[in-house]
Amino acid sequence: MGSGPSERTGLTPVKIVVAGGFGVGKTTFVGAISEIEPLRSEAIITDASAGIDELYPDGTKTETTVAMDFGRISLKHRLVLYLFGTPGQDRFHFMWDELARGAIGAVVLVDTRRIDACFAAIDFFEKRGTPFVVAVNTFHGRRIHEPELVREALRIGPEVPIVHCDARVRVDVQRTLMAVVEHTLERVMSEAAAS
Amino acid sequence: MTTEPGTRISGRIIRPYTMTGGRSGVGLPTIALEALVAVTPAGMRMRGRFRWEAAEIIAQSRKEIAIVELAANLEVPVGVIRVLAADLRDQGAITIPEPPTETVSDSSDNDYAELLHKVLDGIRAL
Repeated sequence: MGSGPSERTGLTPVKIVVAGGFGVGKTTFVGAISEIEPLRSEAIITDASAGIDELYPDGTKTETTVAMDFGRISLKHRLVLYLFGTPGQDRFHFMWDELARGAIGAVVLVDTRRIDACFAAIDFFEKRGTPFVVAVNTFHGRRIHEPELVREALRIGPEVPIVHCDARVRVDVQRTLMAVVEHTLERVMSEAAAS
Repeated sequence: MTTEPGTRISGRIIRPYTMTGGRSGVGLPTIALEALVAVTPAGMRMRGRFRWEAAEIIAQSRKEIAIVELAANLEVPVGVIRVLAADLRDQGAITIPEPPTETVSDSSDNDYAELLHKVLDGIRAL
């Protein structure tokens, strides 16, 4: 990393993953701040691939097309931030690994009416060691859930930031993304201090 | 969400693997989804030589463009773009610098922190 990759081409890509249960508002979140309409790209996967590769030409394995939505935001300092919405279903979890690789961190969007829908995402990022923040979607205008109650319900440690965010509102999304970067930065700094 | 591989909304009738000569990309190092592709001067000179998606990759990467954007724009699976892009890179037609990752060595922690500071500043300034 460092200055190497950008020397020739000028732009440096970075990414943040947006996860959460099906229908929680991931694409809305991405669309609220992306400079392009969220695009959809597809990967062909097989039941057996589990992250090995998405293309099997022999046709002997069951193939599924997984779609992921993403957006792009040009930043100062010749940076381009890509936001990736994870495929919703649990059975596509191995795609998440690919999405999380190299990511600054993740947003786990939570709908408090279906709080269990985000458990899989939290398990995944905890296990992988990907820094994440929990963003409680206030899409439905209610903000009755105190962060500490959400923390308890999700069984996440005190170090995980919890923010409220209306996924339709650009400034909310902007703040949430800043929370992710700040959280990762804190971790990097404390690791540097410890070593 | 789930469609038959080879049938596209746009009406594509070529199976994706046809474009890669049946190669799946197994064994190749994975190119990151967000890796930025840029055409080289040599690639511009060679562009008439390429067909189909390869020609399209050259055309679209005159401005830096991510692997995942190429897949979306060309309406082919990401794996196909990876194989074609790796070929074009091997021929010197494009560059695909590796994006920064979190798996940095101890000595470059400061670089990563510096990058994060810039990202934070960039998001704040939106």
